[in-house]
Amino acid sequence: MTATSVRTERVPTYCYQCVAGPDLLTVKVVDGVATEVEPNFCAAGVHPGGGKVCVKAYGLVQKTYNPNRVLTPMKRTNPMKGRDQDPGFVPISWDEAFELIAARLNIVRAEGLTDASGYPRVAASFGGAGTPQSYMGTFPAFLAAWGPIDMGFGSGQGVKCYHSEHLYGEFWHRAFIVTPDTPLCNYLISCGSNIEASGGVTGVWRHANARARGMKRVQVEPHLSVTGACSAQWVPIKPKTDAAFLYALIHVLLHELPRERLDLPFLSQRTASPYLVGPHGYYLRERATRKPLVWDVASATARVHDSPGLQEVLEGSHEVDAIEIGPDGDVLADGRLPGSTAFTRLVEHMREYSPEWAQSICDVPAATMRKIANEFIDHACVGQTIDIDGQTMPYRPVAVTLGKTVNNGWGGFECCWARTVLATLVGALEVPGGTIGTTVRLTRPMSHRHESVTAGPDGFMHFPLNPTDKARWSPNPNIRNAYRTMVPLAADGPWSQALGPTHFSWLFLDETPKGLPRVTLPEVWFVYRTNPAISFWDTKALGEKMARFPFMVAFAYTKDETNHFADVLLPDATDLESLQLWRIGGTKYQESFWDHEGFALRQPAVATHGQARDFTDIASELAQRTDLSDKYVAAINKGAGGVPLKGVHGDFSLDPQRRHSCEAIWDAVCRAASAEVSDGAHSHGLEWWKAHGLATKPYPRRDWYLLPTMIKRGLRFELPYQERLMRVGAELGRRLHEHDMHWWDEQLKEYQALPVWKDFPALWEAIIGQTGGRSQDYPFWLLTARSMQYAWGANVGMQLMKEVADNITGHRGVIINSKAAQQLGIADGDAIEIATPKRSVRGRAVVRQGIRPDTLLLIGQFDHWATPLASDFGVPSLNSLATMSLALTDATGSGADIVRVKIQRAKEGQS
Amino acid sequence: MTRWAMVADLRRCVGCQTCTASCRHANATPPGVQWRRVIDMEFGEYPDVQRAFVPVGCQHCTDPPCLTVCPTTATKQRADGIVTIDYDLCIGCAYCAVACPYQARYKAPRATFAYGKATAPETARHDEASIAVATKCTFCVDRIDSGLAQGLVPGVDPEATPACVNACISQALAFGDADDPASNVSRLLASHQHFRMHEELGTGPGFHYLWDVADDDAGVEKVS
Amino acid sequence: MSFGPNPWQQTSWDARAAGNFIGGGAGSGLLVFSAVSGAQGSLRAVLIALALGLVALGLLCVLAELGRPWRSMNVIFNPRTSWMSREAALAPLLLGSGALALFGVAAAVPLAAFLALGFLYCQARIVQAAKGIPAWRDLLTVPLLIVTGLTEGAGLFWLIAPSWGQRTLALWLAFGVLLVLRFVLGVLWFRRLARSLQPRPLQAVNRAGHALNAGSLLPLVIVLGVLATPLTPGWSAALQALAGAVAVLGGAAFKFMLITRAGFNQGFALPHLPVRGVRR
Repeated sequence: MTATSVRTERVPTYCYQCVAGPDLLTVKVVDGVATEVEPNFCAAGVHPGGGKVCVKAYGLVQKTYNPNRVLTPMKRTNPMKGRDQDPGFVPISWDEAFELIAARLNIVRAEGLTDASGYPRVAASFGGAGTPQSYMGTFPAFLAAWGPIDMGFGSGQGVKCYHSEHLYGEFWHRAFIVTPDTPLCNYLISCGSNIEASGGVTGVWRHANARARGMKRVQVEPHLSVTGACSAQWVPIKPKTDAAFLYALIHVLLHELPRERLDLPFLSQRTASPYLVGPHGYYLRERATRKPLVWDVASATARVHDSPGLQEVLEGSHEVDAIEIGPDGDVLADGRLPGSTAFTRLVEHMREYSPEWAQSICDVPAATMRKIANEFIDHACVGQTIDIDGQTMPYRPVAVTLGKTVNNGWGGFECCWARTVLATLVGALEVPGGTIGTTVRLTRPMSHRHESVTAGPDGFMHFPLNPTDKARWSPNPNIRNAYRTMVPLAADGPWSQALGPTHFSWLFLDETPKGLPRVTLPEVWFVYRTNPAISFWDTKALGEKMARFPFMVAFAYTKDETNHFADVLLPDATDLESLQLWRIGGTKYQESFWDHEGFALRQPAVATHGQARDFTDIASELAQRTDLSDKYVAAINKGAGGVPLKGVHGDFSLDPQRRHSCEAIWDAVCRAASAEVSDGAHSHGLEWWKAHGLATKPYPRRDWYLLPTMIKRGLRFELPYQERLMRVGAELGRRLHEHDMHWWDEQLKEYQALPVWKDFPALWEAIIGQTGGRSQDYPFWLLTARSMQYAWGANVGMQLMKEVADNITGHRGVIINSKAAQQLGIADGDAIEIATPKRSVRGRAVVRQGIRPDTLLLIGQFDHWATPLASDFGVPSLNSLATMSLALTDATGSGADIVRVKIQRAKEGQS
Repeated sequence: MTRWAMVADLRRCVGCQTCTASCRHANATPPGVQWRRVIDMEFGEYPDVQRAFVPVGCQHCTDPPCLTVCPTTATKQRADGIVTIDYDLCIGCAYCAVACPYQARYKAPRATFAYGKATAPETARHDEASIAVATKCTFCVDRIDSGLAQGLVPGVDPEATPACVNACISQALAFGDADDPASNVSRLLASHQHFRMHEELGTGPGFHYLWDVADDDAGVEKVS
Repeated sequence: MSFGPNPWQQTSWDARAAGNFIGGGAGSGLLVFSAVSGAQGSLRAVLIALALGLVALGLLCVLAELGRPWRSMNVIFNPRTSWMSREAALAPLLLGSGALALFGVAAAVPLAAFLALGFLYCQARIVQAAKGIPAWRDLLTVPLLIVTGLTEGAGLFWLIAPSWGQRTLALWLAFGVLLVLRFVLGVLWFRRLARSLQPRPLQAVNRAGHALNAGSLLPLVIVLGVLATPLTPGWSAALQALAGAVAVLGGAAFKFMLITRAGFNQGFALPHLPVRGVRR
């Protein structure tokens, strides 16, 4: 090399392209050009993944310099919108772009923020399961300043992925996502959780260490995923039958083993197992206090659940003087009433669900299920303790995790319930080694999980259920997906919109079901980091609906299948070009469990390209042009930038009457964050953060586990008996029927105190008949699985991601079992067609052994037709075949990525 | 003596290709040239199937077939075991590529770029000398040498360690001096059961694969 | 490009590399056979010229495949271990002595033939030293490539010589013996590979073998036929030429397929599968 002086820097930043982050990296910049991504080893001491980033972050250099980037604002010149219509985007100035947008927004402000149906006139979709927030600067402050926004037009997050777990998990143990305590777990049953592909750096890091330590993971999944490959045992279960499998495990624990093997103290004292259930299925309650009753050993009487010195009886039936209260406060019975404990009810309920019963349903040999159940309890270490930060806690190194499609859609409730019950039976819920939660998104405060544990009714945690009583329930929802009206468990916090049935917004556009206000098109729709025309169901129809939106503003990275329908494209400065501070650490999502918490800075490693602008500047400009600057700044002061600017450690508030630069805003946020992290010792500004990249303080290990807090607050886990949910469901049913709304009746059946097994696979088979086919002609289950290389972040457009992903089998077609392929005359690489009665897609066959003969697998979500590079992949998507339907929606408002299809060889050369 | 060696723990590798991507970054190789890559292998018949992810690349053999066949002496081997290629001597005959039993060598016939035309980083890092000649994993020899010069330990200090090892998110890859019994790689080899790829060919690879903890018990599975 | 664990066809050497072994093998074989045949006069000149031309064409093919042809002289830097260096060192000597022979220097003929044999040997060793390709690295590849070179040379002789009226029984028999030898070596070579190659590579080798066998057995039938059947000189000349042509084409096709279709690497293999947490 010639000896020229070359300026080399290593710029620290974070990557939060997917929910497994944020992770930390450095970008090597040589003479102003980003050249390499490397781990941030300075963070190795605090990051539970050694300061490293996964493969996707290595695509960020290409992402910055991608010649396909949209680098100027653009406006549509072709008024016709459609897949086959060329939008005719022409470059315009930022001024013109802002003019166009502000004009529309100001009309809305003048006419009213909500329309005749009561829905917000402005909508915004961000997808990405919340991660786009870590890239959109202070845009949330603009949205907060605006007023009501409909953020419920989904792109697939939630309803296709983990939805039931989000809601039930948080309800039962503040577990928006449920995780094993991997560093201590010794036996893990994973029903379809593809953690090695989806768990990111921390997930892969922890599980690799666990394997090396000797943890046994049993992967129960229809295909041999990356995770199955890295597991000790693969159980090829029939799709959508995991509930039967889990029920069989519970049956073994309850009916085939001595009761003493279970964690009886945990069940008696920390759950609602001893609560007495009355003749109508509701708790027996003390007449005066209305508190649930339990049978006390010492006094041989019924006493309320929180009596001092109580010695709960776990099993049995007793007659007690009590009342039984049903929905709407109706007293269903009063007097000497027969009651049996919830645990006794559970035992009876599970009696029929033996391994022999389950094996014909889930295609797993009874002996295998029996062996797994016994291994589970053998590893549970019931009665043992461990020291965590000087505190003695139960040590239960066994856990059960569920993956996407198992924990959402019909059967999701049953699986989530069964998994959590399994944990309680051996006392392995929210304790070291066991099944634990990560964070909260529906209860508050979101940044401090333990503080969200507050006392609610009947000795359980409070949960902000949407009201179902006559006085407060309303058929007039606040947004189009009607979560507040239809899904009590979705709560009503900032995340609730995106956790409602986000396909309803789309579905009801053409036919709003009886009782809900007519679903209207929003007048302005913002879209960022999301591509529903690829990632949701029934993508063709979705595109057609998008074409009808009157004014769509897309923050565009490249042209894609969604912004094809936009009116204005805005180029935001991308990952390595923009500025934002974000919380890291504590416990968050997937396997992100830290012993530290704090903040990390994402800063420009290079100058912005073309006309791209930092999102914060875009937000500030929009606020100015809509006369909302003061509210916008006030929202930032309140915490829309991630930290409230005024707190116990200082006041770094910005003057709401002035306009602030991007750097000034984040400097203030940085100071507030610095003060929080250092407990007031420092208030470092932006320049310090740019140099250091991150700052943290210790996060106590004991805060990984909820049990101590539950004990401290005198609360029990609301398991196994779902009396509250049963009541809420009954009330919801009454409200709906009072308004002549009967289209949710199937979903109402999910509100059971002890869920029964239903033939879940049959629900998807039924769709075949309903769409004009015969079930036996469509014998395959089509599933999807995660691709670590492509997920999120526009990675389908990165050449490097495609190149490396091609090393992993399955990325270039549909995976089919070798024998099944042989029977159909399909060889590896053959052109094939996958079809439902209504639609078909084409691709290539990837013939493998590691998949059930009745199952097909399409990794990721492709079928692109506009995104550069991806549109040449020639790989189809389940989303093009899947319908969006009420019938396939469960009570929490979710569906699942599973379709019954047929497959055959296609003629080569056909498009 | 020093003998640099790589250890890949097959129990840990999840096939994520982070090492593949980091190598592309560190060495600015052209599209498709993966000096380090991870392959996806399947074994058995349904339902008794297993699947493994195997990092591969130049094995820096003790007796490298590439060195024997190279007509120009462009391929050489250092005393510390690293097999090098002098791009300026290489005539691009690709004899070494067919001589290598590990498919580790690449010859990019012309300069190509990710999106057709070169982007700024590709322009900045393009090395014309590496076009139309044999190229392969170098164990990031520049990082090793500059690290040693600064008193750093390759395989321990990130600046002196190959990029793939630095990047690996499952800690599957380790690098160090196999001739030093106290080194990380030596300790890993001593405490685990391991093998080398295509051992029967007698190439003496400097790349070891761990598959289990060290144990004298028989009764562990072998692939038939 | 998919770099799977299963063997795949090498793509480093294409038809141009095959061209070197085809031209160089047939050319050097022809030079040897011509010298042994004692051909004289214009026939000898034509044979030598054709032989040198084929060798030179082969070398030009290789030059076309080099990434850095302007550095091609570096090829002779490693005669200590590289058969390619040795082949390259011999080439000018071979061409030089062959040119001398063309210009009538009698002693140059056996010298050129000797160097041609050496050149042929180097080519065979080049292929066999390619340790990455199981079908090539088999020990029998060396005698097989030498014998097919000689057979192709003999075939070229018989393609041309009958037109000069120079045909002897001994040389016709020698041609037959070479055909038998090539066939037998091919069968032995294939049997060895059948024990070690995976199905797809073996299939490809098999197809290459068919070309070789066709190129050996069909001419052998003609050899025997001509021996056994009284034919007019015109007919026997035509048949001998045909036999020669098929023998050459068979060898060329075999080498083309060996390099470009049946040159599978050995992929990757794991003698042990990793234990994921606990042993099975």
